[in-house]
Amino acid sequence: MIKRKIINNIVLALSTLSALIGLFFLFWILWTLVSKGLDAMSMKIFIYDTAPPGREESGLRNAIVGQLILVGVASAIGIPLGILAGTYLSEYGKNSKFANFIRDISDIMMSAPSIVIGAFVYAILVAPVGHFNGWAGAVALAIMMVPIVLRTTDDMLNLVPQQLREAAYALGAPKYKVIIQIVYRGAKVGVITGILLSIARIAGETAPLLFTSFNNNFFTTNLNEAMPSLTVTMFNFATSPYEDWINLGWAAAFILGVFVLSVNILGRLIIKKRKVK
Amino acid sequence: MLKKAALTAISLVMISGGAYADRISGAGASFPAPLYYDWAYDYHKATGNEVNYQSIGSGGGIKQVSARIVDFGASDKPLKPKKLDKKRLYQFPAVIGSIVVVYNLPEVKDMELKLENKDIADIFLGKIKYWDDKAIAEDNPGIKLPHKKITVIHRSDGSGTTFNFSYFLSHVSQDWANQVGVGKALDWPVGIGGKGNEGISNLLKQTPYSIGYVEYAYKRKNNFKAATIQTKSGKWVKPVEENFKAAAKYASWKPQNHFYQILVLQPGESSYPIVAGTFILLPREKTETNKKVVSFFDWAFKNGDESAKRLGYIPLPKETKDMIKDYWKEIGIEPK
Repeated sequence: MIKRKIINNIVLALSTLSALIGLFFLFWILWTLVSKGLDAMSMKIFIYDTAPPGREESGLRNAIVGQLILVGVASAIGIPLGILAGTYLSEYGKNSKFANFIRDISDIMMSAPSIVIGAFVYAILVAPVGHFNGWAGAVALAIMMVPIVLRTTDDMLNLVPQQLREAAYALGAPKYKVIIQIVYRGAKVGVITGILLSIARIAGETAPLLFTSFNNNFFTTNLNEAMPSLTVTMFNFATSPYEDWINLGWAAAFILGVFVLSVNILGRLIIKKRKVK
Repeated sequence: MLKKAALTAISLVMISGGAYADRISGAGASFPAPLYYDWAYDYHKATGNEVNYQSIGSGGGIKQVSARIVDFGASDKPLKPKKLDKKRLYQFPAVIGSIVVVYNLPEVKDMELKLENKDIADIFLGKIKYWDDKAIAEDNPGIKLPHKKITVIHRSDGSGTTFNFSYFLSHVSQDWANQVGVGKALDWPVGIGGKGNEGISNLLKQTPYSIGYVEYAYKRKNNFKAATIQTKSGKWVKPVEENFKAAAKYASWKPQNHFYQILVLQPGESSYPIVAGTFILLPREKTETNKKVVSFFDWAFKNGDESAKRLGYIPLPKETKDMIKDYWKEIGIEPK
């Protein structure tokens, strides 16, 4: 009896300790990000573009806008593809060999190193075109998004009870209507959460952008040109030896952190709201 | 929210069609990067034209311009005429810089430490392991050197700075020549790697008792301490601008061989031994973009000497600039 209690207490203490260590580092990271990032934040960051070290009029405007465009275009490409593919798997492919093959492949894709995706897109969209361009960066991010959206859509649609579908069929609804009006409606929350998670996942990626959208010291909204992004700018600035660039690197990290965090929180809120109803 | 973001993105893309300014992109050497950033920033203010320079190392610069991915490449390693023919590139120098041996020794002042050229090689070979090694101590009788391990910091990327530095080491140390040799990326016997001059600077700042090599502008901007080293004939020479200039005087670039010349270990009483020109590479067939690129450098040659001096580079002498302009004319890419 006593022995069992002792073992129980030891294990309980160990697992609590592990959880605390995890939390400790999470809050440490957040604290560093907030304290250093807030120090570096100012209106100048949103007004001026990146500038050589030591200049007064120096900010991150071009990088912030570039990041939004890249993530926006990647979402516009990746989300519909992922949802359609996920729908196919759940509603048409089901447990066929082909569908399971796609599931396996997308699981592999999900864990593929992002730098490899960058290299692949460089080979198909940068080298033949002859210059670094924003499209390549957006496509690289979209490629990372597809498997995430695909798998969550597939899983979420599967959770919708078969009886619901049957009921709709019984009323004489054709298959596409059943999918759009019954299945999608039932799985909406889960699918949206998957989408938000995939956005949060790609928003922080540097490696797929390094040699696709590359970087630009100037403001641009033209996807045919090299495009600046917060992540690449952060990487360059944070590893630079210049005080003001390092500070801007922290500011970029803070902005990214806030963005990813709020996307995640938004996802949670959507789930909660649905549950209350 | 997504719809809105996508719509804004699309409308932004459409608005941007109307810009008429020149937009060119270049990539390569980190050695002149602080200066190119400055030039590009002022050039944009003066003309509205955008020159997007990215510091990715000379190796990357040569690669990307050879693959025709960027409008111009930048390298501190000049390419031989044969190689230029093979890769179909033009080449001209843009500015002269100097590589200094920097150390993070809290107890020693700037330029106070004297290092014999062959001892530098031995440090980077890992043969001299401690700061108070006899070889270093006998040249620095006035300094109390700490008994600390030396951390060597070198480049991790393909680098023209490394090329010039290893060229120097190979000529002052037989051991270096035999064991490591000359190149943009080397099989380093010891040390940790940093990406770009920026990376080395960053690591050096954070690592007490380390030693590294950077372009002089990085030393200046970061208030590093640089070692006094030796001229070709073995005289002590401080890493200061007048000694860099003394060495740069010996540059005898000629357009006939696309300005190929390495400036390391020039003769002269006060010539600092590791001085290097840094070069611009242009794809031969792209006449129109080349005109835009040389317009930028033409502007920089006229208006950029002050920035160069302020940062610690040596502007090209007027004769060289004139030669480069003739070179542009001859290959049919006169600035606009």
